[in-house]
Amino acid sequence: MSERVLEGLLDAVHRRAEGGDALWRREERTSLAFEAGRLKTAGVTEEAGMNLRVVQGGRVGVAGTTAADARPEDLLARALASAELGETLAVAFPGKVPLPHIATHVDHVANATLDDLTRMGRALVQQLSRDGCQVNISIEREVSETRVLNTAGAAASYQATAIAVTAGLVRFAGDDVLMVYDQSVGADLPNEADLNALVTSIQARLEFALRIATPPEGALPVIFTPGGLTAILLPLEMSLSGKAVVQGTSKLAGNVGEQIFDPRLSLTDDPLVPGRASSRPCDDEGVPSRTLPLIERGIVRGFVYDLETAARAGTASTGHGRRGVFGKPHIDYSNLVLGTRDGEAGGGRGGASAFAGGLLDGIADGLVVDDLIGVGQGNVIGGAFSHPVALAYRVQHGEITGRVKDAAVAGNVYGLLKRIGGLGNDGRWWGSRWAPSLLLEGVSVARR
Amino acid sequence: MRDRLREALEHSRADYTEIRVERTWSSAVSFRGRRLEAATASEDVGGFVRALNRGCGWGIASFTSLDQLPVMVTRAHQLSRAVRLEEPIRLANVAPQQAEVLLDLDGDVRGVPLSEKKRLLEAYNGAMLAVGGRVVDTQASYHDEVSEYWYVNSEGAAVHELRPEVVLSGTATARRDGTIEKGLESIGLRKGWRSVHDCAARFRAAAERAVALLDAPSVKGGTYPVILDPDLAGVFIHEAFGHLSEADFVYENPQAREMMTLGRRFGKPVLNVGDNGAAVGLRGTLPFDDEGTPTQDTPLIREGVLVGRLHSRETAARLGERPTGNARAISFRHPPIVRMTNTYIGNGRGTFQDLIRDIPLGVYACSAFGGQTLLENFSFTAAYGHMIRDGRVAELVKDVVLAGNLFETLDRIDRVAGDFRWNQMGGGCGKGGQFPLPVTEGAPHVRIEEALVGGDVAR
Repeated sequence: MSERVLEGLLDAVHRRAEGGDALWRREERTSLAFEAGRLKTAGVTEEAGMNLRVVQGGRVGVAGTTAADARPEDLLARALASAELGETLAVAFPGKVPLPHIATHVDHVANATLDDLTRMGRALVQQLSRDGCQVNISIEREVSETRVLNTAGAAASYQATAIAVTAGLVRFAGDDVLMVYDQSVGADLPNEADLNALVTSIQARLEFALRIATPPEGALPVIFTPGGLTAILLPLEMSLSGKAVVQGTSKLAGNVGEQIFDPRLSLTDDPLVPGRASSRPCDDEGVPSRTLPLIERGIVRGFVYDLETAARAGTASTGHGRRGVFGKPHIDYSNLVLGTRDGEAGGGRGGASAFAGGLLDGIADGLVVDDLIGVGQGNVIGGAFSHPVALAYRVQHGEITGRVKDAAVAGNVYGLLKRIGGLGNDGRWWGSRWAPSLLLEGVSVARR
Repeated sequence: MRDRLREALEHSRADYTEIRVERTWSSAVSFRGRRLEAATASEDVGGFVRALNRGCGWGIASFTSLDQLPVMVTRAHQLSRAVRLEEPIRLANVAPQQAEVLLDLDGDVRGVPLSEKKRLLEAYNGAMLAVGGRVVDTQASYHDEVSEYWYVNSEGAAVHELRPEVVLSGTATARRDGTIEKGLESIGLRKGWRSVHDCAARFRAAAERAVALLDAPSVKGGTYPVILDPDLAGVFIHEAFGHLSEADFVYENPQAREMMTLGRRFGKPVLNVGDNGAAVGLRGTLPFDDEGTPTQDTPLIREGVLVGRLHSRETAARLGERPTGNARAISFRHPPIVRMTNTYIGNGRGTFQDLIRDIPLGVYACSAFGGQTLLENFSFTAAYGHMIRDGRVAELVKDVVLAGNLFETLDRIDRVAGDFRWNQMGGGCGKGGQFPLPVTEGAPHVRIEEALVGGDVAR
C-alpha cells in the first residue's frame, strides 16, 4: 500500500464528508530468536495499513484496512457507514502547526544487518551461559514510517527506528522453576555498556535467587524494583487517563491541584525524550508532542487526552492519541517518567546499579519485589492489589538473604503512596517507563 | 489463489516451504454506558512464509502486500540459510492433507448491516442497564469475522477454509458509595449471526450479580475445601496445567522434560485431562492446525498420570512423539507455535451436591475474572463465590482469589462431578506475543480438598 493513497483518500474525504483524518503506517521488523542458546529463527515482517476517521452529519466514523488492493472509495464508504451510527462529537482536528524536533530515526539501526544483530545475540548468549540454565534471547528491530493527514491542514510525517533486546535465563531444579529476564529497548542500538548492564542485572538477580528464604509475614517495608513497579503504577495510569475522568471512574478526577501523594512522587509523560522508541514529534492524530506533568511533588496536575476524549471532556488533546490500522484512536502514554531522569547518562537504559537502588540499608525485615503474578487483573483502578510474587527476595538487616517463594503482597496504592519510604538511585528504563526502585512501608505480606 | 500459492512454492529453493494467506472481514461494535463508542468494519489481508533448509534454522516472512509473495518466499529461504544449526530441525511426518473446508457460517455476518449488529448489542447492553440504579456503568462489545484461509506446503498439503467467529462481551459496574463491583458475561463461538440471539438474560444476570456483590462480604482469607464451578475449573486447567503440557516448554530443556516426564503422577485417579481440537462446534475447533496437521483429541492426564503433551511437528520430532495438531498462529503476522485448542477436565461421577455434602466449611468459587500462572505458581480471581456451610451453599462472597502451587493443587483434587460442560467464552489465550487465540475450556464441578483462598484485601 503506497503512502500516496493517503492524499487521494483525504481528497475524497474533502469532497464527501465534513472532515476527517487518516493515518498511514508502514513497519518493517527484523527479528531473531535464540532458544536454549541457539539461534533458531530469523524473520521479517512488512506491514502497511491505513486508518481513516470521518465526520459526517456531526457524527464520527472509522474504518481501516491492510489490503494492498483496497480502493480509497471503499474505505471511505465503510467509514461513512460507521459514521451513520457514530456519536455526535465536535472533534477539533489540529491545524497546520510546527512540530517539535525530535530525532526518532537512527540510520545505523535501520542499516544494521542480520549479521550485526546475530553477533549481538551470540555475544549475549556467551556472557549469560551458565550450567543448569537455559538462555533465551530475542532481538527485534523495527523501522517504521508514519503519516498523519487531516482536513484541517495538519500533515505530519516521520520515520522511526526501535530495537528491543530481551534476554532471560530459565533454571529448573526439581519442581522449582526460576525465570530471570531483562530487556533493553531504545531507538538506538544498545552500546557495550548497555549490554553489559543487561547481563549484570540478570546475573545479579539470578545469584540472589539461588538460595531460598522463608517468606516473612505482616505489614512490612517492600522495595519494588523498576521492573516490579507495574502493579503500583497501573492504578495511577488508569486514573490519570482522560477516559476514566469522562467516565467518572478516575480516583483522581476531583483532585487537581491537591496534594494527594508523598511530595517525592512525581509522574510525567514525556514523548520528547531523545533515543526512546516511544518518542515522537506528534501523536497518531497529528497533535504536537509536549512534556506533560501528571503528578508534581505529590500534587495532581492533569490527565492525558486524545481528540475524542478531549472533545467529550470539553478540553484539548494532550497529544496522547494512539491508533492502529483497525478501530478508533485511543488514549495511551508515551514515555512515563517516575521522578526525574537523574543519572540517565550513567547507562540507565537497561542497566543495573546497586540492586534495589541502595534502599536495603535500614530494613530489618522486608521484601524486594521484582515481578508479580496477575498484575492488571481485578478492580485495578480502585488501587487495591493482591498478587503472589513471581520473583521476590527477602531482606534481613539490610541484606538479601534469598528468594522468596509462596508469598503474596497486598495493599492499596493510594494509601501506600501517601508516604514513600524512599526512591532508589537505580533509575532506569523498563520498556517505555523510567523509574527507580521504590520503597513502600506497611505493605501486607502473606505466606502461603 | 491456490494457483498463485502453488506457483510460489514451485519457485522456492528451500528444502521445506509453507505459505499461509488470510483475508479477514471483521466488524466491531462497542457501547460504554448508553453511548455507542464505535461501530466499524475492517479488512485485514496478508501472508506468511516459513522456510527450512538442512542444517539451518527457520526463516520466516510476513507481509500485507500479497504482490510481494514471490519476493517473500525468497527472503524466507535466505533467512533460513543465514541461521546455521549444528543440531538440525526435523519435522515429524504428517500425511499431506488436501481439503476444502467451508465451515457452516450459520448466518454469514458479512451480509448483516452494521446497524443490525448495533441494535443487537444495544439490546444486551440495555438488559444490563435495566437492572437499575446501582448499575453505574456498562461496557458491551460485539465482534465478528469471517476469515478466508489458505495453507500450502512443499510436501503437497493444500487447505482452503472459510472460518467464522462471533464474540460478545459485557461488563456491568455497580457502585454504592466507595464500593465498586463488576459482573461479566462473555460469549465466543465459531459460528455466525444466527447463533447470538436470545442472550439478553445472560447479560441481565451479570448486572444483577454486580449489584448483589455490593452487599456481599469479602471471603475471609484462609485454607478451605474449595469447589470450582465448571467455568473456573476450565480456566484453571488451561492456565495452570495446559501451558506446561505444551511441548515447546520442555523440548529444549532436559530439566523441564524431567519435570514433565510421561508416567509421572500428577493427581488422584479421579483426574482426567485432555485437549480436543476436533471437538464438534467449539471456538477452539478447526479441522487442521497451521502446519496442516489434522486436529485430534489428545489425552494429557489419564487417571492422575501424565500420558501426553501437545505438539507441533518440530517438537514431536524432537521428542520422538506424534504431532497432535496443536501448532497454531493467531494470524498471518505470526509463526505457528504450540497452543491449546479445547482443553478439558474429563467428566467424573455424581452431582454437585455429592461434592459439598460432607463439607462443614468451604468455598464455592465461580467463574473467572482472570487468572495468571508463572510455571508452577498460579493465581485466579473468581468472579464471585459462595461459602459452603454444613454441606449447603450459603452466602455470596467476593474477592475470592485462589493462589497456589500447581503440583500440590492438582494432587488435592479429590472429587470430580459428572456434570461436564464446555464454557464458550470470548477473549482468548495469550502466549509468545500472540493474543487472543480462540480456545475453549470445559470441566465438570471439581473439588480441591484444601486450597488457599485470599480475601480481605485492604481497599
